[in-house]
Amino acid sequence: MLEVNELRKVYNSGLIEVEALKGVSFRIDDGEMVAIMGPSGSGKSTMMHLLGCLDHPTSGSYLLDGKDVSGFDDNGLAEIRNKKIGFVFQQFNLLAKTSILHNVEVPLIYAGVGRKKRRKIATDVLTKVGLGHRLDHHPNEISGGQKQRVAVARALVNNPSLILADEPTGNLDSKTGDEIMELFHQLNDQGHTIVLVTHSDEIADHADRTIRLLDGELVKG
Amino acid sequence: MFFETINIALRGLSANKLRTFLSMLGIIIGVGAVITIVSIGTGSQQQIISQISNLGSNLININRGFTRGWGGRVSSDANVSFTLEMRDYIQESSPAIKNIIANAQGQGLFIQGENNIRANLVGTEGVYQDINIYQPQEGRFINSRDIEDRANVIVLGAELAQELFEDDNSIGRTVRFNQSNSTFIFTIIGIMEDRERGMMGDFNNQAYIPITTYLDRIANSNEVDGFIAQTYSSNQATEAVNQINYFFEMYAGDSSSVRITSQDQILDTMNDINRSLSLMLGGIAAISLVVGGIGIMNIMLVSVTERTREIGIRKALGAKKKDILVQFLIESLALSGIGGILGVGVGYGGAYLISKIGDWPFIISPPAVIIAFSFSLVIGMFFGIYPAVKAAKLEPVEALSYE
Ligand SMILES: Nc1ncnc2c1ncn2[C@@H]1O[C@H](COP(=O)(O)OP(=O)(O)OP(=O)(O)O)[C@@H](O)[C@H]1O
Ligand SMILES: [Mg+2]
Repeated sequence: MLEVNELRKVYNSGLIEVEALKGVSFRIDDGEMVAIMGPSGSGKSTMMHLLGCLDHPTSGSYLLDGKDVSGFDDNGLAEIRNKKIGFVFQQFNLLAKTSILHNVEVPLIYAGVGRKKRRKIATDVLTKVGLGHRLDHHPNEISGGQKQRVAVARALVNNPSLILADEPTGNLDSKTGDEIMELFHQLNDQGHTIVLVTHSDEIADHADRTIRLLDGELVKG
Repeated sequence: MFFETINIALRGLSANKLRTFLSMLGIIIGVGAVITIVSIGTGSQQQIISQISNLGSNLININRGFTRGWGGRVSSDANVSFTLEMRDYIQESSPAIKNIIANAQGQGLFIQGENNIRANLVGTEGVYQDINIYQPQEGRFINSRDIEDRANVIVLGAELAQELFEDDNSIGRTVRFNQSNSTFIFTIIGIMEDRERGMMGDFNNQAYIPITTYLDRIANSNEVDGFIAQTYSSNQATEAVNQINYFFEMYAGDSSSVRITSQDQILDTMNDINRSLSLMLGGIAAISLVVGGIGIMNIMLVSVTERTREIGIRKALGAKKKDILVQFLIESLALSGIGGILGVGVGYGGAYLISKIGDWPFIISPPAVIIAFSFSLVIGMFFGIYPAVKAAKLEPVEALSYE
């Protein structure tokens, strides 16, 4: 379960101050699949970064599994990112110079899992997303849909309770997008909480409910 | 975990082999230069020591010096005259002196049948062979009888004998020596053993006659060129030099026109020159190591900037500051370490090559290798810290959105 209260985020780049989030409150229960929607610049990515513990809010609180995240130091946050959260990005964000298998192993490395066990888990997860035959390929040797599958596998590999996806289908055609959404459904059925940002109503229809943002504020109703 | 980080770092390096090599170049050259220079230093020092000890041990040279020209006065030849008998007085002046010989020499033409060779003729005495540790291979050397009798006998250096008499039956035969239109005939009584060329000249290419004969017949004078004294042990040399100085002070009222140099002094001077040269070159090599370190820092900074996104991804996936710091530190350590190893190889090669050219023993000093290599690691560590800290400090979101 996660809960945000009066969450604010102000970007301060030199002279200009941008209030990307203006006090947003909501809660998401375990096992939910929630879509975040809103026009460009409404603060969706900002919200995802805060939910993913990649950034600190300017004010307000964020409770993850009942614990206030602001109480953790950098190392504590790194551990949360590693164990409790899986992140899927629009731009895939794979490490270009290593194999797919190694990419999926990275979270396990930082979790301190031994080489043999790591290899086995990563292989299993990649097989689950349908890439068991591509383990030694490099990211530039596979298609966009396959890259996003690798990214999903990587997000899954430490078995986190929360999976965050910022426009996971934004760089894919609708057919491959549907395939990725199918994957998220399976994960949701297995009990993972899923929060995804999208521009598409079709994609949002997959979710249990939708949170709408406009100019950094929650749209009621 | 630690080995994983090493693995990640090495992957990073092997992804860009040419750049990795180029950035190591400074360290390679620096380490190689340090090892080569230390090896040259020790090798050439060995060579000097062996050349000087080839002269015989504990030697003191007494030669005529020059008075200094000062206050507009032209320098002039010394006014102390070296007589043959003076060697006995010098010997009495210092109890440290074991042997002393008078010495006079001149160039001339040696003639035997069709062969003639320009070479040095040395007037000397029997102890010459003890002082120089130099024995005849055939026949005998000059003895005290020859000195007393002013005998017309000659002992030839090995190469000179070889060139004058192609066969080796020269003992008992005669050789002619021609100088300033006068010709002298000597009977050969011995051939000296083969002897490496030393600092005192080319033993093999000269001939030896009794000093008395030389003064009477060749030089027509009672003045010798100088003396060579030998002390009982090398630590008495300084004492003997002082006493000989005192003798000339008393005898001639002037010791400044007499040059008295012990072999130790020559050795010391040589070693001093050698040491300061090595130090200077070593300093230059150390500077090139530091410059190499700056090269590594430069490349690591570029690498951190280039891989900002990678750092962001790793942080999003759970990498702690420490993990990123160690990853980049190991990368720069690996850079300098591999550079150091290659540098040791280059140093061995360079030292070997130069020892062949300089014709001195090939000596690699293990401390130099260890110090140069460790220094390269220290440099990699030192210059790697800043880029690594910079990488570790990156904020995840900013790093991820870096284009
Ligand atoms: N690092 C930053 N520095 C300054 N302003 C920022 C920064 N990141 C985002 N913003 C601003 O904050 C606001 C919200 O941005 P955000 O990226 O959250 O929008 P978004 O809803 O994800 O938009 P999109 O649909 O285009 O991805 C925007 O006005 C944006 O310009
Ligand atoms: Mg966005």
